[in-house]
Amino acid sequence: MSDIRPDLQEVFRHVFGEGELILRDEMTADDIDGWDSMMTINLMIAIEKKFRIKFAAAEIAGIKADGQNIGTLIQLIQKKTNRQS
Amino acid sequence: MSVMPDPVISDSPELESALEQYLGSGEDRAKHFGALCTILKKVIKAGRFDPAAAAIRRVVSPEMDYTSTQTLVRLFHSCRWKCAPSAQKTRLAVLSSFTSNQLTQMLELFLFAAGVDLELYEADYGVFRQEIIEPGSRLYEFKPRTILIATTWRDLTHWPAIGDNAASVDTHVASEQREWSSLWQTAHDRLGCQLIQNNFDQPLWRQLGNHEMRHPASRSQFVAKVNQSFQNSAPPYVTIHDIDGLSAWLGRRQWGDDRFFHHAKLPCAPECLVHYAHSLASILIAQIGLSKKCLVLDLDNTIWGGVIGDDGLGGIRLGQGDAEGEGFLAFQRYVQKLRERGVILAVCSKNTDSIAREAFLKHPEMVLKIDDIACFVANWQDKAANIRTIAKELNIGLNSLVFLDDNPAERAIVRRLAPEVAVPEVTGDPLDFVDALERHRYFQLVILGREDLQRTDYYRANAERKQTESSAQNIDEFLQSLDMTAQIGPINEMSLERSAQLINKSNQFNLTTIRRSAAEVSTITHDPKWLTRTVSLKDRFGDNGLISVLLAKIEGKSLDIDTWLMSCRVLKRNVEKLLLNDICKFAMSRGLERITAKYIPTEKNALVKDHYTDLGFTEIHRESTGECRYELKLADFKPAETFIKAVETT
Repeated sequence: MSDIRPDLQEVFRHVFGEGELILRDEMTADDIDGWDSMMTINLMIAIEKKFRIKFAAAEIAGIKADGQNIGTLIQLIQKKTNRQS
Repeated sequence: MSVMPDPVISDSPELESALEQYLGSGEDRAKHFGALCTILKKVIKAGRFDPAAAAIRRVVSPEMDYTSTQTLVRLFHSCRWKCAPSAQKTRLAVLSSFTSNQLTQMLELFLFAAGVDLELYEADYGVFRQEIIEPGSRLYEFKPRTILIATTWRDLTHWPAIGDNAASVDTHVASEQREWSSLWQTAHDRLGCQLIQNNFDQPLWRQLGNHEMRHPASRSQFVAKVNQSFQNSAPPYVTIHDIDGLSAWLGRRQWGDDRFFHHAKLPCAPECLVHYAHSLASILIAQIGLSKKCLVLDLDNTIWGGVIGDDGLGGIRLGQGDAEGEGFLAFQRYVQKLRERGVILAVCSKNTDSIAREAFLKHPEMVLKIDDIACFVANWQDKAANIRTIAKELNIGLNSLVFLDDNPAERAIVRRLAPEVAVPEVTGDPLDFVDALERHRYFQLVILGREDLQRTDYYRANAERKQTESSAQNIDEFLQSLDMTAQIGPINEMSLERSAQLINKSNQFNLTTIRRSAAEVSTITHDPKWLTRTVSLKDRFGDNGLISVLLAKIEGKSLDIDTWLMSCRVLKRNVEKLLLNDICKFAMSRGLERITAKYIPTEKNALVKDHYTDLGFTEIHRESTGECRYELKLADFKPAETFIKAVETT
């Protein structure tokens, strides 16, 4: 029973090279500087490693889709790790 | 004191200490990476690009994971155009069938770390055939030195049907080969450049399970046969990049993570891209002649277990019977195999010389023999100074050395005081030493010549020659006693690869240091305006192989020497006089009046600054850069006595 948010924020800071970045649920890819398709891959790889999970190809592709934000990403990771906040 | 820390980085003490901490932290490097990057960003922000660039060069390693490598790529991009240019540059066109951005960015980073700036043309993905076939494509506008054709198994187009028999499969293989050969030939004919062509990675899944390799028409068989055909049919201007071997080494199951192919057309799992890029970089580095040449080994706990000075000959762990001793034995066998293919071995140990040597001479399980070691330094001075001595004695640059030592303190001092030397981080396990040398691809090879196989013999023979030299009364007598025979002739098919290798590698006895690819040299050999000469030298101690190359161009009444280089193994043997005699004879037979030549100084070729005046040339022009032009009037020329018997070849 632990909150994955601090760990996820750490991953984002590392991947985007932004030591001050604060994650909020309603943030989308557009709110984060430099989040392009290459960064999506970098991010997914780093998240997979950190949480020891594996995304499906469609989940990788869907991460920037309409209606997706940090909140839905956290839910997806939690579903995969079976952890709850 | 000749030992100095890296002057650029030591200007930034905070950066220097973060770098030392990072490099010295072994398997915990990842933990210190964040802190180092924060400081790097600060240094870049402050506009100190040169220290940042110097630090990035030292951090880059194939041991980094994908995420850290990407971070470093971004830091590199923020100082790439603002820091001083690298010592070398190379021009590469990447034609790929997949998304190559990540790969080329990391390739660029690895090349930068080796002191090579990359000038890059990257075609859109999937159009590699059109780029080569269409004469007006941007590829031909760009005029690369090397083309990389980066393909995957998905680019094979002549798959056999599952019911085909072996003979039919062979025709499919031949059709496949013809298409690729034709692409290579077209690009080469139009550009005269080198090519790097991927072979094909075995697909992950097997339709026929265990029977896959037995059935003549299976996919795996077809891929294996095409790969074999590539190795057999590729002309010298094509280097086959073995991604099938690379994917097997990394693990095909990890490599073949197709999620990223379907999502972004990546050729393999992102983590594997780091090794992919490093492998490619190592090939380009080898082509430029910057592969490492010499492995410098510590002794105690590096090539045997224990401390010879304390434990004695019977106390050190080496040999069959226990895991530790077998591990060191396995490492020695690996090193022996490196020596066999031309890697020079040296010893740098804190020991009493006689005690250290005794292990080599008397321990029955030693695989490495004293004759395998080209330079043996065992004393109590600091290792950085000793390593400089080794480089000097072997006549090679510090950046040609790899230093392997189990002791982190010794590694740290060498990193600090001889930063040009490659110092891999290792655990104390001798099996990890093997893996470290493998994963860094220090001694990458693009051609294996007869000379490589005999290198240590040359060094040993040289030592014997030095003894003969001291016993001979005078130098002429000495030269006579060597009983030298030289084969002298134009560059031909047999000598092309070795000549190109020397042209791209020789630094010291090299008057102009003009680099040319095998393809460019081949073009010159077919041009009637050019004279090409190679010299191979035998003496009573052995065959030195091909040791000198000269390229000259007829211009009016002059023969102008464009390239003259020689292996330092045969210094002071009159080979240069012999070659001058030879080309003067040629020039006179063509009715020419003079030989002209130039010397272009570099950091490494001071050895030959008086080469032309020593040979009787007159200096006619000197520039402020030290570049000098010379002339020799053939009317005044008298052939010199060389004590070498010359045999002309064609």
